[in-house]
Amino acid sequence: MNATALIADDEPLLREALVRMLASAWPGLDIVAQARNGREAIDQFETHRPNICFLDVQMPGKSGVEAAQHIGRRAHLVFVTAYDEYAVQAFAQGALDYLVKPVEPARLAETVLRLQERLRAAQPALDTEALLQHLARVLNPDSAPQSLRWLRASVGTTVRLIAVQDIDFLRAEEKYTQIAWRDDTGQPREAVIRTALKELLPQLDASQFAQVHRSVVVNLSAVSHVTRGANETADIHLKGRQETLPVSRTYLHLFRQM
Amino acid sequence: MFYSQAMATTTASVPSGFRRIFAWPRLRFTLTVSAAIGLLTGLHSKATLPVDVLRALVVGCAVLLVFGWLEYWPRRMPKWLPRTVLRLIGITLVIPLSAGFAFGITGGGTGHDFGLLTVVALLFAPWIAIGTILRQRDAFAREQALEFELQRSEFERRESDARLRLLQAQVEPHFLFNTLANVQALVDSGSPQASRVLTSLIAYLRAAVPRMHSQTTTLENEVDLARAYLELMQMRMPDRLQYAIHLEPAAARLHCPPMTLLTLVENAVRHGIDPSEPGGRIDVDIWIREDRCVMRVKDTGVGLRSVTRGLGTGLSTLRERLKLAFGGNAQFSLTEIAPRGVCAEVSMPRREGAS
Repeated sequence: MNATALIADDEPLLREALVRMLASAWPGLDIVAQARNGREAIDQFETHRPNICFLDVQMPGKSGVEAAQHIGRRAHLVFVTAYDEYAVQAFAQGALDYLVKPVEPARLAETVLRLQERLRAAQPALDTEALLQHLARVLNPDSAPQSLRWLRASVGTTVRLIAVQDIDFLRAEEKYTQIAWRDDTGQPREAVIRTALKELLPQLDASQFAQVHRSVVVNLSAVSHVTRGANETADIHLKGRQETLPVSRTYLHLFRQM
Repeated sequence: MFYSQAMATTTASVPSGFRRIFAWPRLRFTLTVSAAIGLLTGLHSKATLPVDVLRALVVGCAVLLVFGWLEYWPRRMPKWLPRTVLRLIGITLVIPLSAGFAFGITGGGTGHDFGLLTVVALLFAPWIAIGTILRQRDAFAREQALEFELQRSEFERRESDARLRLLQAQVEPHFLFNTLANVQALVDSGSPQASRVLTSLIAYLRAAVPRMHSQTTTLENEVDLARAYLELMQMRMPDRLQYAIHLEPAAARLHCPPMTLLTLVENAVRHGIDPSEPGGRIDVDIWIREDRCVMRVKDTGVGLRSVTRGLGTGLSTLRERLKLAFGGNAQFSLTEIAPRGVCAEVSMPRREGAS
């Protein structure tokens, strides 16, 4: 019985190219299904149960890694990716089968040999669960611990993005956060977002934003000066804004130390 | 056990505290003033001059200790009691106490001498203390001003770093290799499309590879670049991307900072269309509105929901670039549109291009 394979890639030209290359590198292989995204790959896998899955890593909706997590050890997996430092590194370290686009015939031939060997020996597919979990984390941009650049906020009736460096200060209002920012003409504006200040705080660049009060975080570059009040308190005056912000005792050291 | 631990921490922390309280300039000043007071009281006291000076030094050191100690303790002050008042009360109380102690160890003092030392010390110490506190406040304000100045220059430095970065726009390897794989597929299958696609790729690379030399470009060039990019992407996802570009002919020669339109279009593809299974449509419109030029890129992709974090570098540098080119006179906004998608709009002053 011939071996069967599924090819998943969102780019049709690349699917066709891989079909063509496999036809010459492994004439006995039946390509039983093609998929355009992770969701289709899972559906097609369940329908056809191929021996081998070629999965593009970056696909719309569900990624190739997510599809692979679903398939598990029920098929031999080969990942296909355009140059991507993290993915290639992770594949190489985890001894996973992978192809780098544009696919080189010599490289494909090696992969084919390895797969044929495994099928002949009736070896089970590699256990990749832990590695795939790691990959899913690495490749998911939302999980990267980078500082926030834009906030999605309601201004009047529209939803717009506010650049974080345009924010003068943020003030907690129960479950909401009030944002005081500058529009492109430098006019002070206000907006409200539905995220609590304490969730936002860890995502802000700590060298630019400082918490000065339980409910207030200020952009240090928006500060004009600080006046010391009676008894261990201080008020922050902002450039081009009338209101002052309180500094509570716990945070006063920010304005004391060098 | 408990006790010894407490002792250990105390002895460990005391030197730094004492060193702070008895900093040499302060100690020198206190000893000088105390010695002077000792000499002064010596003129009228019944004891010998060295004894008077010794007593005054004891009082001076006690005052310095209390004055310094109350600067840090208690760490939190009750609202109704300012620290300055506490420090003044502290030194007022410690003067008679320490004077009593000084007379105790030197012996043979009289009530008259005790009263004399106490009164003179009480006359001088509070004023000196107030002077010191005022000087400290001054120093605090100066330090703070310096601190803000430092921060400001730090921000300025970072800003110029950003300027450099944005001049070195980069071609993403992921995009490049994926596109090359497509071109190879076309060539391998002998498609007549191959040559046209290569032309688009060359046009894109020529513009996107760092070009420090050209600070400005015309809108026509920008549109050509955006079209090259969209053609490449359409080759890659023919069933998922439609687009249309409309450039008002009168705007073709207008000045535009390089990569402005491309950044918006790339952003629409990467964060709008590419993550969407059915894909979507991108509409580019550029027109003149009175003395301004408006550039609008609308997509029907997945919208702003998933982008707030991944999105960033490209649009942040675009903002910087606009600021550099037009000062505060260019506006950039990104809004969500119904039923789905994002509208990005740049409005900049109408400026005739150099070329």
